[in-house]
Amino acid sequence: MKMEEKPLSGPDNTRLEALIQDVYSELVEDACLGLCFEVHRAVKQGYFFLDETDQDSIKEFEIVDQPGVDIFGQVFNQWKNKECECPNCKRLIAASRFAPHLEKCLGMGRNSSRIANRRLATNNNISKSESDQEDNDDLNDNDWSYGAEKKAKKRRPDKNQNSPRRSKSLKHKNGELGTSLSSDPYKQYNYNAGISYESLGPNEIRSLLTTQCGVISEHTKRMCTRSHRCPQHTDDQRRAIRLFLLGPSVPTLPDADVEGDSFDIPNGQALLSRLQWEDFPDVSPTDSASSKASTNHSDSKRPKKKKRLDLSLNSGGGGVNMTGVSSSSCQSNISLSTKKKKPKTAAPSVSSIYDELN
Amino acid sequence: MVVVFSLFDADRLPNLARRSGISPTNTMNKEARLKASINQKLTETGERDRLKELLRAKLTECGWKDQMKAQCKDVIKQKGLEHVTVEDLVVEVTPKGRALVPDSVKKELLQRIRAFLTQHAS
Repeated sequence: MKMEEKPLSGPDNTRLEALIQDVYSELVEDACLGLCFEVHRAVKQGYFFLDETDQDSIKEFEIVDQPGVDIFGQVFNQWKNKECECPNCKRLIAASRFAPHLEKCLGMGRNSSRIANRRLATNNNISKSESDQEDNDDLNDNDWSYGAEKKAKKRRPDKNQNSPRRSKSLKHKNGELGTSLSSDPYKQYNYNAGISYESLGPNEIRSLLTTQCGVISEHTKRMCTRSHRCPQHTDDQRRAIRLFLLGPSVPTLPDADVEGDSFDIPNGQALLSRLQWEDFPDVSPTDSASSKASTNHSDSKRPKKKKRLDLSLNSGGGGVNMTGVSSSSCQSNISLSTKKKKPKTAAPSVSSIYDELN
Repeated sequence: MVVVFSLFDADRLPNLARRSGISPTNTMNKEARLKASINQKLTETGERDRLKELLRAKLTECGWKDQMKAQCKDVIKQKGLEHVTVEDLVVEVTPKGRALVPDSVKKELLQRIRAFLTQHAS
């Protein structure tokens, strides 16, 4: 069939438009007719008014069209500002922070064990056994790397850096809840790569060293928080650290089957005075001729008086308790009380103790 | 003279004559022929069905169908549930239906028709 071309070119645009309008109105009428047929059939078959049978439920579930409310009539952030009372600590916690708080408060969950471990490292009133388990746990943990440990930031007294929502919660909780509630209990959560030994008391150092590797890193001047089996450091390093930090009555490493040795006390005072912080680099961890466990053998008279004699002094003080672990606590009690930054005063105290023993 | 009545839909011819207002002359025949060919093209290529579906979908989506159903309800309540006929509904509802089509839908459909015609008729 031959197609007419002329009517659709330029001057016949009106005709084209008319044609288009025709086609369009045809389509619309088709749609209307279809609808009428549908409705009519529904009426005749009796299902046209089916959705209007129950007026009560219609009113109940009517679409809501108010501002601030969704179509069901529910408020969007209704629970955002609600506070819940923690069943454990009886504090009021914001609803969105309730779950993480409960995790820490009850001591369950991954983060809480890590935080607790850190806290143990800086507090000295928590039992050692608990922290021993935690240490192994952390060592086996895949997403902990020693490098990350070392590079961790300074101590943050407010919140745990592990928390996934740390930045968000800090942003939102500037005024009310964040500072007041979280600063106090979490102040002790120091997330450090290691511990900075300068700020620790002797008791803390002692407890730390019995559970942790404790070797001080050259870069950050911090103690390694890994366990005694930490692969980064040797036992000699650990021994040296203990010597360095705890002075003459250096505790033996916990896996030691200890003492009972010769008892050389002679120059306790002089030696102690020589044991300055600055001397530390001089002490090489290489005098490991003796087994790592025993530190108090008859080698005590070797030229390296600094180290050996101190250890023997240690054993003297440790005569009271013979087991490795508890001896450390006893000894460090004796020696560390004043040892930390005032070697001079340490000397008299140690000598006085030995006076008693003698 | 070419008899082209067979090519038209039966109802189109009187419409055309009424609208254009001219007597059945060659012009009308040409027009009629043109229209017929366009319709044929639309059907053959399946464009008519596509356009129908498109229009139906758009009208349902924009709520036109629900509005129309409400209109139908009024008619039914007026005429009585038992005695309402298709004709009643059509006569009452179609003009409103034509008016209630949203502009966006109308524009889109016109555009598609125009595109089809310019593509296929040249």
